[in-house]
Amino acid sequence: MTVRQQAVDETTTPARGWGLNTWDSPWLNFKFLLGVAIVLLILLFGLLGPIFWDTDLAYTGAGPLNKPPVWEEGGLPEHPLGTESNGRDMLAQLILATPSSLKVGFLAAIIGMGIGMALGSVAGYVGGWWDHVIRTLSDSAITIPALVVLVVIASYVQMTDTTAMALILAAFAWPGPTRLVRSQILTLRERSYVRMAHLSGAPALEIMFVEMLPNMLPWLAASLTGGISAAILGATGLEVLGLGPTRVPSLGLIINQATTNAALVRGLVWWWLPPIIILMVIFVGFFLMTIGLDEIANPRIRQFSSSRRERIAAGEAPPVEHVDGGVAAGRDAALEVDDLHVHYFTPRGEVIAANGVNLKLRRGEILGLVGESGCGKTTVAMAILQVVQPPGRIVQGAVRIEDKDLVSLSGKQLREVRWRDLALVPQGAMNSLNPVTPVREQIADAILAHENISRVDLERRILGLLNDVGLPERVIDMYPHELSGGMKQRVCIAMSIALNPQVIVADEPTSALDVVVQRVVAQTLLEVKERLGVSMVMIGHDMGLQAQLVDRIAVMYAGNLVEVAPVESAFSEPLHPYTQLLIESIPSIKERKPLNVTEGLTHDLRNPPPGCIFQFRCQHVEQICRERRPELMEREDDHLVACWLYEPERHTLIELEEA
Amino acid sequence: MRGLTREYVLQRFLMYLLTIWLGSTLIFVIPRLAPGDPVSEMVGRLSLDAGYIENADKLIESWKARFGLDAPIHVQYFRYWGNVFRLNFGYSLSHFPTEAWTMVKDALPWSLGLLTVATVLSFSIGITVGSLMGWRRTPRWLQMILPSSLTFTAIPYFMFGIMLIYLVAFELDWLPATGAYSRRVDPGWNLPFIKNVLTHAILPVVSIVLTSMGGWALGMRGLMISVNNEDYFLLAQVKGLPPTRIFFRYGVRNAILPALTALALGLGGLISGSILVEFIFAYPGTGYTLYQAIISQDYTVTQAIANLIILVTATSVFLLDLLYPLIDPRITYKRNMR
Repeated sequence: MTVRQQAVDETTTPARGWGLNTWDSPWLNFKFLLGVAIVLLILLFGLLGPIFWDTDLAYTGAGPLNKPPVWEEGGLPEHPLGTESNGRDMLAQLILATPSSLKVGFLAAIIGMGIGMALGSVAGYVGGWWDHVIRTLSDSAITIPALVVLVVIASYVQMTDTTAMALILAAFAWPGPTRLVRSQILTLRERSYVRMAHLSGAPALEIMFVEMLPNMLPWLAASLTGGISAAILGATGLEVLGLGPTRVPSLGLIINQATTNAALVRGLVWWWLPPIIILMVIFVGFFLMTIGLDEIANPRIRQFSSSRRERIAAGEAPPVEHVDGGVAAGRDAALEVDDLHVHYFTPRGEVIAANGVNLKLRRGEILGLVGESGCGKTTVAMAILQVVQPPGRIVQGAVRIEDKDLVSLSGKQLREVRWRDLALVPQGAMNSLNPVTPVREQIADAILAHENISRVDLERRILGLLNDVGLPERVIDMYPHELSGGMKQRVCIAMSIALNPQVIVADEPTSALDVVVQRVVAQTLLEVKERLGVSMVMIGHDMGLQAQLVDRIAVMYAGNLVEVAPVESAFSEPLHPYTQLLIESIPSIKERKPLNVTEGLTHDLRNPPPGCIFQFRCQHVEQICRERRPELMEREDDHLVACWLYEPERHTLIELEEA
Repeated sequence: MRGLTREYVLQRFLMYLLTIWLGSTLIFVIPRLAPGDPVSEMVGRLSLDAGYIENADKLIESWKARFGLDAPIHVQYFRYWGNVFRLNFGYSLSHFPTEAWTMVKDALPWSLGLLTVATVLSFSIGITVGSLMGWRRTPRWLQMILPSSLTFTAIPYFMFGIMLIYLVAFELDWLPATGAYSRRVDPGWNLPFIKNVLTHAILPVVSIVLTSMGGWALGMRGLMISVNNEDYFLLAQVKGLPPTRIFFRYGVRNAILPALTALALGLGGLISGSILVEFIFAYPGTGYTLYQAIISQDYTVTQAIANLIILVTATSVFLLDLLYPLIDPRITYKRNMR
């Protein structure tokens, strides 16, 4: 249960208000609905049973003794499920017992949930001393074996009816929800939309109900269904031990009577089995609801299982098509990306994240890859590294280093190339180091996966690497949480040069750092590059930083490269209208307006328009732009652009087509 | 600042004491909050069974005096604590003149053995299954088979136990249905006895393991999926590490930490469930002894066992807590995690 509360993860879309009525709703989860249906069915059996069957038969002496069900030899039609050793009719007993078992569960869990929500909200929202007391109490209460205490209580207190039992059970049902609500509030109040509501002066209760509760709902519901089955289990446990109410029929009591009357040995299967079956069906129902709600609450689980389902449905992933597979990368190129297509197979259609990207990284250069967020630059980086995450997939193209096409390498061959020839300086250095192992082991891991070296050499090498990036030696024994952001990023850089790779992909290496540290990290990168002569792809959206660091720049828009040029000419005379917008956006804040205004006009990535992909935001759009996609062509010296503006023949081209 | 700091140990130890105090106090308080008192209840029940008891009032009085129930409630509470502290619970009422503590002591090894084996098995199997389910490289056929191991998760231990007794012990006659060992063998460190004990333990252990491992598996799957999306997991792949290394060092190693917390928190539930398993299998551990004490209204033994179970549970949780910072270097920093 605590595993579930492992934080609402970042991918959760914030829900505001209670919009549950769309067909898209995550609440339409198969497991959850199946569970609801099962529990409803059992409930109906208990509620409607008395209408169709005489429940007076549930009392002692209502029929003959030990009769088997009607389908067995000796069974009687007036007792379809048989009778037990006191002549009670099994069907009537089950009808009476079922709702009372459910009632105990619901009552206890709802009371426990109420207490838990109240205490959890106070702990999470008020905090301070209250939080301390409530957390300590609930943490220790949760570890007390409830049934032991219950059994002792039940031995003193004769429980007369189910309500009394539910109340006592509720005393053990609050710590779980308390912990859950507290941790959820602590997580949620840090979310920007909750902070926004705070800043806008909304009252605490409104924030609680409008902003927080809808987001907590699946978790609360999962906790409730879990609580109900735990309470039913507790109640049934007492009943089976003969410590529950003895006058009211209950499923546990039937099992108790059956076992104490040696029904197992005497072969009276119809006595002990039916209550167990009903209980199992109830538990399965709540279990399905709980895991369904888990999937609703945690989209990653949903994604994981659906991508698996997709894989199975699609059979083996179709092989990647190669344009000219096997051709060695050019002598001057350290890395060659050839006609790369990456698609994300989402339930709502294929998203084209990279559409025929061609790149040549020259030896010893830094190539900047820029574009707004969502343009596919990180996807290209991941595709180069062969770690596109499902549901994404490289559907076509090649990534070549020397004579090897990484896309077509087998797992083992790929592992050999990785890090030795192609390393990564990751985007989120904050989370890119394994939190539970010291720096030494993480760097050693990378080296030992590719080389056999002695311990002494390994140690010396790691210290050398740390020294290269300007980190003190003591860092070697530190854990990631003991390092600052800049230090972590430098550890990542040290790690990336451990095997002296040909190519390093740096994915926004400075994005999460403050300006001063950014400078240090950028300088470290440059130094390392100069000394080792490594070639680098540097991804980023900070045009200013790019201008200082890179040799050539490649501009990406909506999955397509639109311009590739040496950094000087890209900045002094950008050719593509999009590049022009990007560069205009650097010097002054006022100038950013055009970019923001046109942002809404980006086309749907699932369904790119014919013609130029920038046509909706372009100020120079012409007829040909709407009909034909411009190719990336060298229009000036070493300056490639994909735009019809620079095609002198564009008018004749379109006339030719019409003719 | 790494590992077991004094502050952390102290904090956990206070928590340990608090848990014991809370549990024992519940056992003391709740019966006294209820209408009536235990002695009158007991005498009442006795007279129901026997039809009539002479001098019932005097009996009630003398019993009350004997158990100290006539003293003011705070005096009773202090006496109670003195007794709990000295593990002195008086004589068993049903097995006079055996001391309650002696009876409990005899039962404890059986429960500890059964539960330790069952918990270790179910946790390790569950964690393995869950880790494999949450890993993309797990072979497809295994991905298809593993979820079926969750089938039993929803069924309570004891129900599964009843069905196992019926099928395996009575219908198939493969294994003994009840008890910890047969009467015909000689208790002691000899091979036949050990073999006999093991065959008796199979069914109870199986019913606990099969029904509880699914929960661990399910939790672990979710945790592994989260780790799958972590940056360090991706970097490990890009580093060209062997898949087994990524799986254990970067995947399981991180995902198992919250699962261990869950184990510490879930021990109470596990122990609760085992009471019923012992009852169903007539296994002579603390759970079964507790049951027998209750039906024979042996309330000294009842209290002794309940306090002991709380003590053992709290101790196991405390030990797990001490283990935790040794495997998670961050723990002393994020004090508010648990």
